[in-house]
Amino acid sequence: MATVAIPRRPRSARLAGSYNARYVIARIGQAVLAVVLVYVLIFIIVTVLPGNPVSARLRSPELNYTEKQINDLLAYYRLDRPVWAQLGYALERLILHGDWGLSLDAGRPVTSVIRGGIPSTLELAGASFVIAALLAFVISIGAFYLPAKLGGGVLRTFPSLFLSMPNFLIGLVIIDVFSFNLGWFKITTYDGLSALIYPAVTLAIPVSAPIAQIFISALDAARTEQYSTVAISKGIGRFTLLVRHLLPNAALPTLTITAIIVGDLLGGSMITEAVFGRPGLGTVIETAATDQDVPVLQAAVTLTAVLFLVINLIVDLIYPLLDPRLRRATAR
Amino acid sequence: MVALSTVPRARARLSLPALTLRNAYTLVAALIILVVLAWAIVPGLFTSHSPYAGITREQFQAPSGAHLFGTDQFGRDVFARVVYGTRSAVLTALVAVGIGLFAGSLIGLVAGFFGRAVDAVLGRLIDVLLAIPAFLLAVIVVVSLGFATVNAAIAVGASSVAVFARLIRSEALRVKGLPFVESAYLVGGNKLQVLFGHVLPNTYRSVLALGVLQFGIAIINISALAFLGYGSPPPAADWGLQVANGKDFLYRYPWLVYAPGIVMVLTVLALNQLNKSISKGR
Repeated sequence: MATVAIPRRPRSARLAGSYNARYVIARIGQAVLAVVLVYVLIFIIVTVLPGNPVSARLRSPELNYTEKQINDLLAYYRLDRPVWAQLGYALERLILHGDWGLSLDAGRPVTSVIRGGIPSTLELAGASFVIAALLAFVISIGAFYLPAKLGGGVLRTFPSLFLSMPNFLIGLVIIDVFSFNLGWFKITTYDGLSALIYPAVTLAIPVSAPIAQIFISALDAARTEQYSTVAISKGIGRFTLLVRHLLPNAALPTLTITAIIVGDLLGGSMITEAVFGRPGLGTVIETAATDQDVPVLQAAVTLTAVLFLVINLIVDLIYPLLDPRLRRATAR
Repeated sequence: MVALSTVPRARARLSLPALTLRNAYTLVAALIILVVLAWAIVPGLFTSHSPYAGITREQFQAPSGAHLFGTDQFGRDVFARVVYGTRSAVLTALVAVGIGLFAGSLIGLVAGFFGRAVDAVLGRLIDVLLAIPAFLLAVIVVVSLGFATVNAAIAVGASSVAVFARLIRSEALRVKGLPFVESAYLVGGNKLQVLFGHVLPNTYRSVLALGVLQFGIAIINISALAFLGYGSPPPAADWGLQVANGKDFLYRYPWLVYAPGIVMVLTVLALNQLNKSISKGR
């Protein structure tokens, strides 16, 4: 969608000259710093806030650890030391050895607990993203072109409506309608495509709302710009106007919001997976939260933040390629 | 100091919307919010049933005149539980928005107003907070604080700090360049006086709009935390908990999910509409 934004420009040639290496390095550096800060922040939330989930959890009768096992784990996390020493040790372990620590429940490495959930969640988030983008596109174009009486007005209220519906409720309604009433899939034995489509639609509905909101207002704004007026007065067709002038300009702010909603996509996947009983990173986070398995929780949430930062970094870096005006600004 | 008070404060005024057909949506939204607030303040006026005491032989009754939204597995009146659950929904959302608004305003105002190094540091903090998916941030906070509805509210509030801070920072940046701020300095105002007397009051319309929007988001997120079991345990009257309870009976008794669900959606939808009306100023 966004690639239409650069008409007829020798991209690679411009890249070398105008795309400042310092800008790229600075942005990557910022992103790396942000990842470390995210980890530190989550560490602070978990350790500094009142309550001590780790040692409380270790002593819980459910786990049935011996005093020696508890002491070993406490020593592993340096829980006998001041908070700052714990943080330093955790960072050292993470950065120097790539070690995310041990899960409190099985004593397994955190990485092996989390790794299992990643492909399934990426699949869900990916499918859901595609559906959300299509949904937002259809709603926006419909809202922009249809006269208010023929449904354009109603379509404009969709984003607001979608934003008002909690994820878990959408999931339950979809199960009720499509599984219980229409019988299109069975919630107990469903697999294959239907195991992906229904949760993906559930997740896509609230996620599509901000995209559609921004896209509609960007289209409206582009329509009132002088270049549109000129193009229309020159007798350009509706379709050509859309493709040549409106879409390229409206695509840019939409791209920004699309990168930002990645966070909602990952946060929402936790609830969606819980509703549909679909295994994934969200289920890992949910189990870790219920069991107060802090190391797993810390790593999983950091991971989602990393994904968010990487996608936003990519968007930031391709932005100047798409927008000639920004290209000049970054080529200092 | 005396001279400062003679500088007219260029406050944005919140005028009451004129009642036209175009404002019909706003009117309906305001009515819904009024009803919800009334439920929260005096739930006993709207239902004679108890939200906790059930009549076992009246379990799983479909919605009827006697039980507007039907009854649940313990024979409790679902409408009464929805009405009594409103208070917790409204109060917790207020706590959440209050926390987000207070901490976010402080960070955003200071960052935007003082600029330079302060802005660089606080701006980074805002970026980092924004990078963590809001709902997951709330989950982490509620896990550290312990599972309870109040903690869920605090958690959701903490997860919205960055959103408020970002808006207020950009508003502060905009306002501090306006002529009346300059003239406040000229007549001898110091930085703090200008910050709290002139910059802060002039950011409030957009902040109010965001606050209303975040109120709806807080209701959704707090109920999602309750749905996952991170809020207060049953038998608390709570919308999210009600939906979670109803989902086990969804196949045969769908009203257990739909009744609290629809009330929740209508409430948040009304808040979204009010947010639109406030930010457009009509």
